Amino acid sequence: MSADFDVIVIGGGHNGLVSAAWLAKAGRKVLLLERRSALGGSASTEELFPGFHFNTGAADAGLLQSSVIKELDLHSHGLEFIDSRVAAFAPQPDGRALTLWRDPEKSSYEIAAHSANDARAFLLFQQQNERFAKLLTRYAGLRPPTIRNNSPGVLLAWVQLALRLRGLGRRDMMEFLRVLPMSAYHYLNEHFEGDLLRGLLASVSVTGSMQGPRASGTAFMLLYQLMGTPNGSFRSSLVVRGGLGQLSAALARAAKASGAVIKTTAPVQSILSENGRVLGVRLQTGEGLRAKAVLSSADPHTTFLGLLGAPQLEPRFSRRLRSLKLRGSTSSVHLALSALPDFPAAAGEMQRLAGAIVICPSLDYAEHAYDDAKVGRLSSQPIIEARIPSLLDPSLAPAGSHTLSMTVRYAPYQLRESDWDAQRENLGDLAVETLSKVALDLKSLILNRKVITPLDYERDYGLRQGSIMHGLMGLDQLLFMRPVPGFVGYRSPIDGLYLCGAGAHPGGGVTGAPGLNAARQAHKELG
Amino acid sequence: MAEPYDAIVIGGGHNGLVNAAYLARAGLRVQVLEKRPLVGGATVSEEIYPGFKFSVFSYVVSLLRPEIIRDLELPKHGLTILPLESTLTPLPNGDYIYRGSDPHETFRSIARFSTRDAEAYREYGHAMYQMAKAVRYILGIRPPDPTSLHPRELGALLRLGRHFLKLDEDNFYTLVKLMTMGSADFLEEWFETDPLIATLSSSGIIGTFLGPRSPGSAYVLLHHYMGEIDGVFRAWGFQKGGTGGIAEAIASSARHLGVEIRTDAPVAKVLTRRGRASGVVLENGDELQARLVVSSLDPKLTFLKLTDPADLPDDLVNAVRHFDTHGSSGKVNLALDAAPEFNCWPGDGPHLRGAISISPSVDYIERAYDAAKYGHFSPNPYIDAIFPSMIDPDMAPPGKHVMSCFVQYAPYNLAEGTWEQQREAFGDAVVNTLSQYIPNLKKIILHRQVLSPWDIEQTVGLSGGNIFQGELSLSQLFFLRPAPGYAQYRTPIHGYYQCGSGTHPGGGITGAPGRLAALEILKDLRR
Repeated sequence: MSADFDVIVIGGGHNGLVSAAWLAKAGRKVLLLERRSALGGSASTEELFPGFHFNTGAADAGLLQSSVIKELDLHSHGLEFIDSRVAAFAPQPDGRALTLWRDPEKSSYEIAAHSANDARAFLLFQQQNERFAKLLTRYAGLRPPTIRNNSPGVLLAWVQLALRLRGLGRRDMMEFLRVLPMSAYHYLNEHFEGDLLRGLLASVSVTGSMQGPRASGTAFMLLYQLMGTPNGSFRSSLVVRGGLGQLSAALARAAKASGAVIKTTAPVQSILSENGRVLGVRLQTGEGLRAKAVLSSADPHTTFLGLLGAPQLEPRFSRRLRSLKLRGSTSSVHLALSALPDFPAAAGEMQRLAGAIVICPSLDYAEHAYDDAKVGRLSSQPIIEARIPSLLDPSLAPAGSHTLSMTVRYAPYQLRESDWDAQRENLGDLAVETLSKVALDLKSLILNRKVITPLDYERDYGLRQGSIMHGLMGLDQLLFMRPVPGFVGYRSPIDGLYLCGAGAHPGGGVTGAPGLNAARQAHKELG
Repeated sequence: MAEPYDAIVIGGGHNGLVNAAYLARAGLRVQVLEKRPLVGGATVSEEIYPGFKFSVFSYVVSLLRPEIIRDLELPKHGLTILPLESTLTPLPNGDYIYRGSDPHETFRSIARFSTRDAEAYREYGHAMYQMAKAVRYILGIRPPDPTSLHPRELGALLRLGRHFLKLDEDNFYTLVKLMTMGSADFLEEWFETDPLIATLSSSGIIGTFLGPRSPGSAYVLLHHYMGEIDGVFRAWGFQKGGTGGIAEAIASSARHLGVEIRTDAPVAKVLTRRGRASGVVLENGDELQARLVVSSLDPKLTFLKLTDPADLPDDLVNAVRHFDTHGSSGKVNLALDAAPEFNCWPGDGPHLRGAISISPSVDYIERAYDAAKYGHFSPNPYIDAIFPSMIDPDMAPPGKHVMSCFVQYAPYNLAEGTWEQQREAFGDAVVNTLSQYIPNLKKIILHRQVLSPWDIEQTVGLSGGNIFQGELSLSQLFFLRPAPGYAQYRTPIHGYYQCGSGTHPGGGITGAPGRLAALEILKDLRR
């Protein structure tokens, strides 16, 4: 029986596009199918209001594996980065503020205004984190080991990683092993005394999480967010010219240049399989397409329970899949502004606003925000990470006006006393209200507003339960436990069906790692 | 001056006594020094009210290692464990869940809420038995040093790896989950009845500063399943005459082996000569010479009080300063004029001879934890109570009873006031909470003793009042306990050793740290 394609990739998010581009470049005949009318998934830039372009999912490409850019030669396909020197700005209603810069020395100087001890501690902290993050970057590029019968190749890779860890020296190695399972709360308290600094860094440690900074494993998440392009110990950052969507566009161009076929508005109805072997996919139009391998960048539930169907799976696998914790808790609010808001705490230095603007003044603030979410309520005092991309990239908004996007935590997918269709605008008001405390004239500048709740991320972006990570990244859902225990390096229980999205190791964020690792795996096994 | 001892053991708690007994057993001349008038540390029974005997601090036993019971012939010296066979969870609506020694009765009790849970309960018990059996192995070994390339250490690591890879896949993954998850999240993969999940999950928070949903609490849950009495796993018991009877049995066995025990002998400092431990000086100025000194006190006292931090490497001093000993548990001991009457189960019954768990829902415990996070005790605390006199009538005059209530959370650091000011308010919160389930309680209270973490620190010495001598968190376990590189019971000072719960495998009346430390010491002495 002849296949129409070597490989069909489901989902045109950044991971799906990485898989498609890499496999096409490797000489495979590739078809990519995207449900929505535009590519990018959670790495999209959308014109929500005429002339105003927003990054509706992730903000930038900070976590992107450099190997993705190199191997797919993305620069020659139009990927352009904008340099930004500021990492994060933490304004206070009382006018105090703390700015972290890409240059740690400069940050240390700022921190000194709050605490001399912290200023000293910060440099050591930053150097240690960079060493650890480098290790994690390698870890992200490896195929997870299984508990037995590993291929020599996999074992060798992990032994090499272990030696590299040992190479850091005894003290560093021990520290790494000690810090990974720690809570950000303890990790940050061990190093710093200043609330503002601890809160600012804690906001990174709860990315996509349904835990507060006191939860063990949040220190790992902090380090995970420092992979890729160092950003002075704040979330790694790499701003894409024209918006993050241009990364997806460049990936698409790279894929097409190697002959991959890309279809949008082509929702897949089901994944076809026969006696445990994948045959292809059926589109919602009824059209059936055959392929030797299918790579799905959809989340694990959608892929296996939705598209493939539990009957095709052994009961144990589907049981394990059902206990995968998703618990989306991230929402976003996007504002079209007639002018740049006035942040008194920035004291007229607009450049301070060019990175992340964070409202998370202390560890307890973050923990309190989680206390609400834990019982199914929107945080009454949410953690907000705002960005004004139009500052660095005027092309995103009409002359003189600006785009402002806020990530708002925690907005638990499951609300106990209400539902998101009823709460959507309250969430928007709360976010604007919260930011107005440090940007006084904000409300008067708002031309338009779009709120994206976890429910919207599920409905419109296909993220089940609005889980931006395709499943929580707690210690119990990493490596060979991700997405389900015993899941072997991207290969599903169905021969020829691979998972290439954030649900697979190493997990969420615009890393491209799952897409790249899965593509390599599939290519090897297609022979 | 008196002929020097071979060894001086500082602290006459159960671990100090076990350590001394094992050293004496190998022929050493050993002196135990206890600051209080009686041995036992946190394992004591005292008649704090005429005619009523209390297990003042710790209150149940099951974790005491069988090899220690054998080696030290403890039954011959008065160890008599009476079974504690049931747990009653009274509910606010007047209902209850009862789990007793009769599996059918337990099945019926749970089945009233969910037959699925009643069935799962058996599987769950079996699975935890398997897990405990697997992990019990590490209770018996000295933690290997993963950073060392010494064949001895690599060998130990290899044996450890082999031991766990021997597990079948399901058990292995369950173990990984236990090591990383929150106890409530773990239990929700088994059960659906909230009060049952809450009661079972409470074993995961005992003695820790974690909530049932905090990752890491599932490990503490497992830790409490590692108990064995007469080879029967998870059998909790109660020492005749109170917990103090255990310490007295070990002490008697130690004396029988030639150990000299001196009470009212608080140690001020460890003496060193040419970088070697040479003895101790008591607070009254007496000097005692010994070839080696063992401290069963917590790491903070062992390193920062008994020795001069200036004589220790910085990494150890820093690690010990950061070692988390933040106490979270309180104890309320009541002398009762008559038998308690439960509104959910009036009159006498087997429930009075078991544990009473005030844990009506997971949210209930989480809310109590939330209060503690910000330095308050909850008006609705989690309580684990028993009536020792119901099991052992000698504990109280005829017709009268003692009630022992273990309470969480009682944060060592209060947001307002001191524990001296808050102590009785805390006691009131406990009594009020219990009165909702035991209407006649207030009328029958003859005497009340309230112990906060601060009181525990004052009397027993435990830093921060932490009953485990330090949190049982992933970053403070095994080769990281009490500090990276110092987990093998030795210290940087020759001839100075540690043997308390602050070392592997941690807290609870296991005696394991005392024994493992003794084995290391004897290795060094080539005995």
